[in-house]
Amino acid sequence: MSSESRFLRHSRQRSSFRLGTALLAGRTAALASRLTGRGSGASIGGRVTTTLDPKAFAELIASRRIAAVTGTNGKTTTTHLLTAAIRNGLGDDGSQVITNADGANLHHGIVSTLGRSLHAPVAILETDERVVADTVRLGHPEILVLLNFSREQSDHNHEMAFLGRDWRAALAAAGPDGPMVIASSADPLIVWVCQRARAVVWVDTNPRWTADSTLCPNCGGVLIRETARWHCPDCPLSQPEADWWVDGDEAVSRKGDRHRLGLQLPGHFNLTNATCALAAAVEIGISPDAALAGMRTVISPAGRYATATVSGTTVQLLLANNPASWTECLPLAVSDPLVLAIDAAAGDGRDLSWLWDVDFGELTGRTVICSGPRALDLAVRLDYSGIDHVVIEDLAEALDSPLLDGHWDADHPIDVLSSSTPFQQLRQLGGLA
Amino acid sequence: MSAAAVRIVLLYPSLLGAHGDQGNALVLTRRLQLRGIEAELVRIAPGDPVPTDGSVYLLGGGEDAAQTTAVHELKADGGLFTALDNGAVLFAVCAGYQICGRSFTNGTHDRGVDGLGLLDITTRRGPERAVGESLSHWRMPDGSVSLVTGFENHSGWSELGTDATPLASMEIGWGNGDGQTDGAVQGRVIGIYPHGPILARNPDLADHLLSVALGQHLESIELPDVEALRSRRIDAVRADRS
Ligand SMILES: [Zn+2]
Repeated sequence: MSSESRFLRHSRQRSSFRLGTALLAGRTAALASRLTGRGSGASIGGRVTTTLDPKAFAELIASRRIAAVTGTNGKTTTTHLLTAAIRNGLGDDGSQVITNADGANLHHGIVSTLGRSLHAPVAILETDERVVADTVRLGHPEILVLLNFSREQSDHNHEMAFLGRDWRAALAAAGPDGPMVIASSADPLIVWVCQRARAVVWVDTNPRWTADSTLCPNCGGVLIRETARWHCPDCPLSQPEADWWVDGDEAVSRKGDRHRLGLQLPGHFNLTNATCALAAAVEIGISPDAALAGMRTVISPAGRYATATVSGTTVQLLLANNPASWTECLPLAVSDPLVLAIDAAAGDGRDLSWLWDVDFGELTGRTVICSGPRALDLAVRLDYSGIDHVVIEDLAEALDSPLLDGHWDADHPIDVLSSSTPFQQLRQLGGLA
Repeated sequence: MSAAAVRIVLLYPSLLGAHGDQGNALVLTRRLQLRGIEAELVRIAPGDPVPTDGSVYLLGGGEDAAQTTAVHELKADGGLFTALDNGAVLFAVCAGYQICGRSFTNGTHDRGVDGLGLLDITTRRGPERAVGESLSHWRMPDGSVSLVTGFENHSGWSELGTDATPLASMEIGWGNGDGQTDGAVQGRVIGIYPHGPILARNPDLADHLLSVALGQHLESIELPDVEALRSRRIDAVRADRS
């Protein structure tokens, strides 16, 4: 029996009457939410279902084969890549693979996704960091992709170590039934978590951002980084030898295979995201060629890198929500002028002090339009780095600015790098959501 | 950089600086340069010798384990203490403020860890985490009051002994924990809780540190974005808590 068919093997459980009723109520609530224009309804639908059947998450996630993807940055894109790889690899059976492509990655969003397709045997789940332990405990995923672990927002910083302990305990409790983990060898906290995993495939993700991993998660020693590897001087924790890494546009395996990635997505970090997805697909039993052919069809996962027209200007939408992702995404914003849009609503993180942990030096000599409700925080940041900027808080107005005239065309859009809330507003202004 | 350049020394940004507090060093350096004063930002990593010829030394916020490591490294090096004896200014924020004290507690442990002993404060774990925009009133040397806007995020409550004086009185927020005062001053050592980074939002405080360190009055400089940000944050925090 091939491993592909093993992954597809049905474990068709009949849902309980209570779950069935709860799901129906959830779908009704989601529909109402969509009709009144209050969003996709995924989260509200899952919430209604869970209120009526508190065991909905456990029941829905236990009855199929799961590949879960988590990490602070890149989980939406990597989930899209892995889903495309598996669907393509399974051919006609690809339709039996479901995913939360809209990024609804908390308990309620996952309940909503799984509840829509009760009998789909395979689910590829983008999983918020806070849901990982429950997913491992209740869903017994076959694959768990751990991309990276940096602080999402300063006001959540103290939760990182706690979440790491939570994941590690869940992997330890799973023991021999635990997932095959595809994990970043570059991230000390993830390496420490994976000491308790049944089996690990290491991917060297070689990130630009390492500022959140100064101290050893095992003993508190000051980590030493040399020639792109790290180790602890006070205990045995060190960077494991990678099974996969990126070389140019190729994913390379320790066995010596080289695979051209040829993605339609920009950025070095997407090459490593794709290599993680490739490693996961290979573990599932998909051939690398089939996986890569699928991944090359991914264009703009949940609106990232999408091109849209806002206020008559052609723009490319880029999303970054924390210093790590701003550091990785800034090189992708190449237009002059460019627009940086900031908010500090719940989805963005209420504390913007991280703006000062991002090096904006590469913008020197270009004109920045600071936009969004917290544009002034960014303007002061750029003031002190001597970078030319103007402040236009309203997004539609910013993209209507005469400053942009003659500086873009259909092939060279104005780049707009946004935190979460302005990004979603721009998707709506551009007719993408 | 000539030997005459004013040195702003950022201590252990990899350990204590995960909340944008390295911005305080950039603000001080730039505010000197904008006045035509030659200035140099020096970053010191754990294990590097701490220079003794700096004018202003900075400590930022960070995790519990980082605090203990920073105290150990600073005591082992000794350079900071020499610099302070030579008349330098130390400005410390949040976790950096706590380690300047006599002792502080770490995480869920209630046993105090010895601090640097530069401020007569004792920090214990408070009953709740203090997170949010804060606003306090700082009386400047000329007697006028400057509003201090920032974002605090800490679980420590600091009690001041008789050798330390509170820096500011709270209008909104927890500050030292009781919601009455924030920060402490003792000689040329100044500590306070909020990030922001705080000197980016509070140019009066930044210029105060510089003029004490340089022993000279500094003329004001105009940065309209800074004034606009200040009034926006002050209005927002008052509207939010009213
Ligand atoms: Zn260690």
